[in-house]
Amino acid sequence: MKTMRWLSLLLALMMVAAACGGDDDSGTGTDTGTDTETSASGDGGTDSTEAATDDTGDAAGGTTELLTDFGVTDDEIRIGYNAAVTGIFAATVVPIIEATEVYWEWVNDNGGIAGRQVVPVILDNEYDVPKHLENHEIFSGEGPESVVMIGQSSGSPHTAATAQLLVDDDMAAIPLTWYSGWADPEFGANVFEVQATYCVESHNGVSYLAENFGNKIAIISFPGEYGQDGAQGAKLAAEKLGLEIVYDGEGAVVPGSDQTPVITEIVNSGADFVWATINPTTLSEIMGGAVAQGFTGMWSGNAPTYFYELLNSDLAETLDQYYIHSTYVNLWNTTDTPGMTELVEEMRAYRPDAQVSDNYLFGWINGMIVKQILDQAVANGDMTRAGVTQAAREITVDLGGLAPDQTWGGEPNDYIVRETYLYDVDLSKYTPDATVSDDEGGTGFTLIEGPLASDLAQEFDFTGPCFVAE
Amino acid sequence: MTLSVNKGLSGFARLPGSGRKGATLLGRPNLFTSYERESRIFTSTTQKVVAAVIIVVLFLMPFELPVINQIPIIRFLGDGPYLRPVSTTLVYIVAALGLNLLLGVAGQVSIGHAFFMGAGAYAAAFLGGEATSTVYGHGLPIWIWLPGAGVTAAAIGVLIAPVAVRLRGLYLAIVTLGLVFLGIHMGNMDWGRKFAGDPGLGRDFPSLELALWKGQDPIISTADDGRWLWFDVTKAEKIYLVLLCITLFMVVLAKNIIRSRTGRALQAIRDRDVAAEVMGIPEFKYKVIAFALSSFFAGIGGALLASLVGKLPAIEWDLFLSVEFVAILLIGGLGTISGTVLGAIFVVLGPRLIEEVTKWLESQTEATGPVATVADLIVTDGANDFGPVSTATQSPGWPMSIFSWNVVIYGLLIVVFLIFEPLGLYGIWLNIKSYFKRWPFSY
Repeated sequence: MKTMRWLSLLLALMMVAAACGGDDDSGTGTDTGTDTETSASGDGGTDSTEAATDDTGDAAGGTTELLTDFGVTDDEIRIGYNAAVTGIFAATVVPIIEATEVYWEWVNDNGGIAGRQVVPVILDNEYDVPKHLENHEIFSGEGPESVVMIGQSSGSPHTAATAQLLVDDDMAAIPLTWYSGWADPEFGANVFEVQATYCVESHNGVSYLAENFGNKIAIISFPGEYGQDGAQGAKLAAEKLGLEIVYDGEGAVVPGSDQTPVITEIVNSGADFVWATINPTTLSEIMGGAVAQGFTGMWSGNAPTYFYELLNSDLAETLDQYYIHSTYVNLWNTTDTPGMTELVEEMRAYRPDAQVSDNYLFGWINGMIVKQILDQAVANGDMTRAGVTQAAREITVDLGGLAPDQTWGGEPNDYIVRETYLYDVDLSKYTPDATVSDDEGGTGFTLIEGPLASDLAQEFDFTGPCFVAE
Repeated sequence: MTLSVNKGLSGFARLPGSGRKGATLLGRPNLFTSYERESRIFTSTTQKVVAAVIIVVLFLMPFELPVINQIPIIRFLGDGPYLRPVSTTLVYIVAALGLNLLLGVAGQVSIGHAFFMGAGAYAAAFLGGEATSTVYGHGLPIWIWLPGAGVTAAAIGVLIAPVAVRLRGLYLAIVTLGLVFLGIHMGNMDWGRKFAGDPGLGRDFPSLELALWKGQDPIISTADDGRWLWFDVTKAEKIYLVLLCITLFMVVLAKNIIRSRTGRALQAIRDRDVAAEVMGIPEFKYKVIAFALSSFFAGIGGALLASLVGKLPAIEWDLFLSVEFVAILLIGGLGTISGTVLGAIFVVLGPRLIEEVTKWLESQTEATGPVATVADLIVTDGANDFGPVSTATQSPGWPMSIFSWNVVIYGLLIVVFLIFEPLGLYGIWLNIKSYFKRWPFSY
């Protein structure tokens, strides 16, 4: 028992020490840019000019003459990452954050932004909504971990819970979720969605498959916002293209339950191709089952349906033969666009032993987007939270060919992304356990077409998410 | 239920040297000469003073006051970024008190607590939330939706109790486990979405504002910053203070239930249900009461949690949430109010404090001094460094990232606690107390 007491005392001391440490930071972190009043304000963005060091907002391109409020000091720019680095999506989010970190290390080694070093402040949201909000409070506050914008907000319900707070705090956020409603200004005015939505992605995928494989389509999906948005997109496309929906399994795939009925329906439907909005685990189960029963149609689906590590399973041959992967970005080392060359080079320089992953693309692209928003804010001479949010509405982000250019000005119909990429699963291009330094290291893909914007996607009129819960 | 026991006593022998009936002897605080005195909330003046001081500190914690701001830990718990986890802790305490009544006091195992919390949350949203084209809502004020949440959950508890009363131990646990999955499924069904909103995003919940009736200006508004009495209060501070009042009320309520006739009956059932029945305690009735009371607290807690978060999908009322509450009770100490409170603090704030410690270690690698050397041994922050903690975010492997360590340390702490102190934090607290009581002859 005595040891226990000593342990608790030690723990208590460590906590006290941690508190002191935190305080020291706040002493150095806030001394330059801000002139903080004693009363903490929940929506500090509104009186940002009060706290600014300098009002020479027209000094475009100047390195120090910048309007700032929180998260930007004379030598650093803090960007918040409210990321699910632990929890069920950790395997996806961790490599994304890893690439973002590499991106900022690289930017900082090349002089940073406006003479300042970019500091990514990463807080774990544990894929938990209350924790996400706690982190948001830290980011939107005025302390040593306050930031000028949110570089990544993981998860749909999490981002939705902060959507209004972002507006209140005048902060911009890049979501790591492809919910189709983000483009709706009513819903998340300061949530700057990147890449195509599930619904538009389905339009492109179904158009391509119909052109090449026949006109009988089977649709399967999870219930809920993700699954049914993808399925609705596929249905809309099928209707416009005059396809015959031989099996409508919208919402029929429930993860963790018995998939035999779905498999039977697919096999009996005689579909030319299947459009799936599910996840890799259920895909391998359903596709494995259907192909084993002699189904020979093609398969494709929204991006989260497939993951290259499925090629480690005994389904690899089947996937190679029948699966076409739809996605929003270039995949690891599959193109020689300038963006890809840069990413591969810098990953090799900064993390030579890291394992090859397609998720690096999302992290790297995220870095590029945030950097270009900040560059615009610097050019405007306004690095306040409101200024950065405004800058995001003004620019067109050039992603060096890694993904379609991105913009957020005007009406949603003017700026929603309509291009996606289609990849053929190619077992010969897959090297398990390859590191980024391997020249031949790949995730098993050959580009079929992309950026691809089908006629349907180009005509697509955005009025809100394709699937709305009724 | 007895809400007050402070009434006149008779029939107890006068003790020599005591002027009052049933008084304790000076220097013998544990000698009680009447049952009513023993079952008081505070059995000694010291306890009263300590409780009063703690309550005052809790109320003044968010403000920059000279003395309170010097108390370690409290100093930063009241600061902006920490106020939300502290508010979450208060809500967890309310819900955990409910499970404590069921599991700790009445001895009925339940891992369906999240279901009742969800029921309360959606009752609150139905009564107090705003209606949209996709969800129900009546916009009623908090004095209707908060009790309404508790009562609805309690009613569901009563409905389920007859099934549960037939089962014991693990079987009961599995039945309540089923409730959690049922609840999430109902929330995702077409009619359930009218209450719960989109399965992926959730719906908006009512905010913690006190108004007389719907549409009227709130008497207590938590929508923006303002000034209460002598203090400027921010939005977050207002929410904290409102939650603190509600939590204190619920703590006193729970304490009074435990020391009432009902509470004693429940404890008798926990200790041996057959014996209790023989003594004339109707087992069925009291098990139903236990479920109702527990669900009432869960419903209130769920409504407060949803309101604090603002927007939640049905999937958030999951098994993990239920398990968290079982953990709160086991870590804090079953059956006691102080244990429940300590457990909630540990479960909600523990991971945050661990984060602070690892963050601080990380920052020390750039400093100089003795801690820096130690920190440098532990933390890896470059290609040619070593140590088990990596500052770079990376996939699981060695060295592990700080985020993975936070999870691992937290898990280890739980294991260590339960092995070395099965009575939980409450047991540790008892040990500390007895150490000082016996001083200087402690061993």
